Amino acid sequence: MNASRDIAESARTPIGVRAAQSRLHLGWLSSSKGLGILFLLPAVVLVVLFFLMPVALTGVFAFTNMTTATGITGGAYQVSPGTLRVLTDRYGMGELAERLGQPTYVVDEQGLAALEEKGIDKNIIDSLRDGLLGKTYASRRELERDIRGLPDRPNTRTVKSISEEFSRSLANARFSSRESLIAAAEAIDPDLTDEEKEALAASTYTGWTWTTENFRRLASSPTTRQVLFNTLFFVAMTLVIFNTGYAMVLAIATHYIPDRPAGIFRIIWFLPRISPVVIYVLLWKWLAWDTGFLSAFLSNFGVRPRNWMLDTATNAWFFVIVINGFVGASMGMVIFASAIKAIPESLFHAASVDGAYRWQQIRHIILPQLKWPILFVTCYQTLSLLTSIDQTLLATNGGPGGATEVWSLWIYHTALNNYAGNLQYGMGAAMALVLVVIGIVLSLIYLRLFNYNALVAKPRIEL
Amino acid sequence: MTKRLLTTTAAIALVSLAGAAAAEEVTIRVWAGGSGPNDNYRVDAIEIAADLLEREAAIRGEDLTINVEKKTDNTWDDFKQAVTLAAEAGNAPHILVTGHEDIAPWAQSGLIVPVEDYLNLDAWPINDIYDNLLEIASFGGVLYGLPQDAESRPFFFWKEHMKAIGYSDEDLEALPDRVESGEYTLDNVLEDAKKMVDQGVVEAGYGFYPRPENGPDYWQFYTSFGGVMEEDGRLVLDKAAMQRFYQFFVDAVEAGVTRKNHIGTPNDQWYSEVASGKAGIWHGGTWHYARYTNQEGLKDFFGNIAFSLIPAGEGGKPNTLTHPLVYVLTDQENDDEEAIAAELIKIASEPRINTLHAVKSAHLGITHQQSNIDLYAGDRWAREATERLLPFANAMPNNTDFGTYWNAMWGGLEASWTGQKTPEQAVSDLEAELTSSLGEAIVIR
Repeated sequence: MNASRDIAESARTPIGVRAAQSRLHLGWLSSSKGLGILFLLPAVVLVVLFFLMPVALTGVFAFTNMTTATGITGGAYQVSPGTLRVLTDRYGMGELAERLGQPTYVVDEQGLAALEEKGIDKNIIDSLRDGLLGKTYASRRELERDIRGLPDRPNTRTVKSISEEFSRSLANARFSSRESLIAAAEAIDPDLTDEEKEALAASTYTGWTWTTENFRRLASSPTTRQVLFNTLFFVAMTLVIFNTGYAMVLAIATHYIPDRPAGIFRIIWFLPRISPVVIYVLLWKWLAWDTGFLSAFLSNFGVRPRNWMLDTATNAWFFVIVINGFVGASMGMVIFASAIKAIPESLFHAASVDGAYRWQQIRHIILPQLKWPILFVTCYQTLSLLTSIDQTLLATNGGPGGATEVWSLWIYHTALNNYAGNLQYGMGAAMALVLVVIGIVLSLIYLRLFNYNALVAKPRIEL
Repeated sequence: MTKRLLTTTAAIALVSLAGAAAAEEVTIRVWAGGSGPNDNYRVDAIEIAADLLEREAAIRGEDLTINVEKKTDNTWDDFKQAVTLAAEAGNAPHILVTGHEDIAPWAQSGLIVPVEDYLNLDAWPINDIYDNLLEIASFGGVLYGLPQDAESRPFFFWKEHMKAIGYSDEDLEALPDRVESGEYTLDNVLEDAKKMVDQGVVEAGYGFYPRPENGPDYWQFYTSFGGVMEEDGRLVLDKAAMQRFYQFFVDAVEAGVTRKNHIGTPNDQWYSEVASGKAGIWHGGTWHYARYTNQEGLKDFFGNIAFSLIPAGEGGKPNTLTHPLVYVLTDQENDDEEAIAAELIKIASEPRINTLHAVKSAHLGITHQQSNIDLYAGDRWAREATERLLPFANAMPNNTDFGTYWNAMWGGLEASWTGQKTPEQAVSDLEAELTSSLGEAIVIR
């Protein structure tokens, strides 16, 4: 205490003028404030990189329609059958779609000139001019067949680069920029109106766009309500029953038994947390599968074997909460136990002398002293349960029938899991943003509820 | 042909295949999804192709060394997640073996490039591949992939259990035809399954024992009840058909022939149960033959199991679904590597090489000429399954939005199956969800 006060004081005291001048550019290093910032810098970088950036990016992604199909880094302009349909349906430009989208290949002087520029062998160009000039093809394959029929048959890759130059439609073409798309469209139809260009660019764009659609979808989807309810149920039950309730029971119980057995007891309860999550959940599955321990044991009593974990929604909830709760309880147990240890033993002795029962000791000594740890555990575990995914994913994967689908799992299923290879990043980010907001709101409520300012106020007595 | 011309052609050929340098070493990475122990030739074929391509190059006087890095993934979800994330990070493998339904979203994102840009479609063996398979590998009239295998998904009946409820050998012989003609329907499936359970032939919940997880199979039941997945390039939700399809599984649960908590049964358990006669009627894919006879130790497949199309339901027709896997090429910075990868998948489609995969994994062939290869022609399963199933096979659409539809369809089925919602409620939620997420991209009727 004294030492730190000295440092703080020496920082405030002006050092000799000469010394200050000689260290002018590093002057801030000689203050504890400056040093503090320096020492905190790595942490700040980590916090920015791994906490603030993801949140900021989630916020950005949430307002896009990003999917695997749109890509993350930006889009191109592609004239696919889908875009032609949009052009017809949404913009009523069926005729334009027909004109630009019908594959057409014409062997013309323009194309031949382009080939010369590309450096294609002159003999090949000559024979193209002699044999095919003026011919029109409805598919690339037909044109390529004829190119291969030329006396000096070019190899496949040359054929491809030749046929490319004779395409006179936009069918299936992919352009990296709007300008090149419009230029190509104008080359085919010079009389395009601005409106048509606009529609063409909008309907062929493959990349993501800004939108608030994700939130509208979330608000209107019947699944949202169900999943939200599931999440609240899961967090509340696990938190109250295990992460604080059972953790408290364990902490108090181990407080009243001798140190050595208490230590062993705590280690046992710590196992779920320190064992690898896959193995931990797999053990539960072995217990609950219809060929597992529970079924095998109960079949001796004539109970039909079943998958106990997924049998009904109630069963699934039981397992999800217990599996998560056993992991969570250990943390609360350690924190509460150490907080109880910090209570001066004399208080317990005094209480015993006064004839207090165990329950009265717990009620009047232990619990009041644990307000701060309880706040911490509740707050921390609420946030961690809200985002907890691994145990539930491995155990029920949201089943049966979406009964245990919680918000974080729903995000995972939307943003990173799709049987047809089209992951919905934007939608997933919007869901994640909702979770971030819920988390912040809950934290604020907790701080208010437990009167944070009073808790961090300066002690009134010097110990 | 003049001498000069010859040299230019040779030069172009040289440059095109091996880049400018004479001695070249390239590493081609190939990833296959949904591939178990019987599917090793999906990636091994690329290695064989690399050997051939190196020899071809050597004859042309080039020194080309191709290293093939192979990776197979047993699941689909994880594989697709890995591929899309690798691609976003710029590390996509050169060649992917994946389901054809990925072509639409991946082509839109520019993750994959058309094979048509690199391959002569009139050359062997591409000109021998079945047209309908090539069509399934195309998007917007452009060939994006080369079919890697084909299959179809039959209904299976455990003969002994069928006999126990009164079927004779002749009845079982005639069953596939009765299914095909629409005489034996999904209603009969429930009836027979119920008899098996009631008479104690199989345990409760094992009369009808469907696939225990999401998969293309479930679209077959939608089709069986008259549903259509896509029409004129637009997705279609037929509410009545969807509801009948959901109802079927609810009925199965209510009749006690299917377990309410069936979804989520571990795959290994499921395979060992159906291959050992624990279930009466179930459905699977042609590749199950390999699993039953290799890993599960079923000695006499044909003596124990009868197979047919998926029976018709009310308002629909018997059908099966083929879900061909395709080789696709990812967009790479180095165009020469893409060209080499394209050559490799072309050579890997050689009937003889593809037959190794087809027979080992009990998939169906992709080319006409495979029926002239003894290994394929001599395989009873390949022959019978091709004849009985493939003519009635349809495929899922290559549509960017299909994944969203699929996820929602599965969610609804799961919810009604497990009793969380009534089929009616599930369909109306499905409609709400699809209207909100897909809008004009889906027709609802």
